[in-house]
Amino acid sequence: MAGEVVYLKAERNVEVMQDDVFLKDMAKVYCADSHIAAKAKAIKVHRFSSEEQKRQVFGVLRLIEMIQQACPNVTVENLGETDVLVERVDVNRHKGAVQLCKIVFVACISFFGTAFTIMAFHNDVGISKVFGKVYELVMGQPSPGYSILEFTYSIGLAVGIIVFFNHIGGRRITKDPTPIEVEMRVYEKDVNDALIETADREGKTIDVS
Amino acid sequence: MFLKQLFLGIVGTSFGVFAAGGVFTVLISVGLIPRFAGKMHVSKKVFLFEEAVVLGTLAGDFLSVFERHGRFGDFIIKNQIFGKGRTEEIWYIIGTALIVVFGLFAGIFVGCLALAIAEMLDTIPIFSRRIGFRHGLGIAVLAMALGKAAGSILYFAKAVYLHGGM
Repeated sequence: MAGEVVYLKAERNVEVMQDDVFLKDMAKVYCADSHIAAKAKAIKVHRFSSEEQKRQVFGVLRLIEMIQQACPNVTVENLGETDVLVERVDVNRHKGAVQLCKIVFVACISFFGTAFTIMAFHNDVGISKVFGKVYELVMGQPSPGYSILEFTYSIGLAVGIIVFFNHIGGRRITKDPTPIEVEMRVYEKDVNDALIETADREGKTIDVS
Repeated sequence: MFLKQLFLGIVGTSFGVFAAGGVFTVLISVGLIPRFAGKMHVSKKVFLFEEAVVLGTLAGDFLSVFERHGRFGDFIIKNQIFGKGRTEEIWYIIGTALIVVFGLFAGIFVGCLALAIAEMLDTIPIFSRRIGFRHGLGIAVLAMALGKAAGSILYFAKAVYLHGGM
């Protein structure tokens, strides 16, 4: 019997809600023979036993080994990642008062922190002196304190930030992700890489030996 | 006159756009807010945090550029908003609370920013590799935090000594 080819696309990072981790949670599986695909998807890869153990790294070779044990005579092609980080999350982690407190906390840091930063920046560059000098250069007389410069500067600042962050009042201006969303993904990717590397170094990866 | 005003307007707008670009590129590239959101597992609300960043900047801009109009404490005391005679006391409490909140969150932000910049330049990894230590990174970080706190307290110590902390 000629071996069917099972295509496997392993994910980098998956979150599971239950204790049991199946292959279909960790990777996309395709096979021309749908029986084999279904059988492969239903393979139970791991069971989170204790409550403390929250994450586990799997090498893709172990997954391939499991597939070939379950369905002999198949060839497995992995098109995805070579290590899979599985995280066990609590179902009720994403709601409740604690969550709200955290959101308020981070929002407060963002608000007061940036307010402080821009004030410190204005203080550093001595913004009123700069504006006074520009006003005097152009108009030929001392600034009366507040001029059109201050107003347009504030408007320009607002426009700059809104263009930079690409959204206003919850609505996107263009379809691109905002810079913080991009940074968020970069940060998540870095964390996943670090976790997988650490698990590898400590020998905690579940893989074929 | 009108042309000069127009020119000033254009100059001011471009000042603003580029100041925003400069300051916020630094803030974003050190990746502070994503890190907070990631630590707290609230990454779904990134939009809200960006709103907070925008509003915070505008508030800070208003308070520092339009300094004379931004004195809302003065305004409240002068107009006796909480009733005659009691306004000073009530506003003293509210104002102190506001200042405490502002100081605390601004402090957290600046502390994180300082270390984030140090980390972006890879100071810690390079040092730990050069002097070859493998353990005690936690102690090093703790020492850094304590050093920052000590430096900050020392910096303000004279004013506290002279004015009794108020």
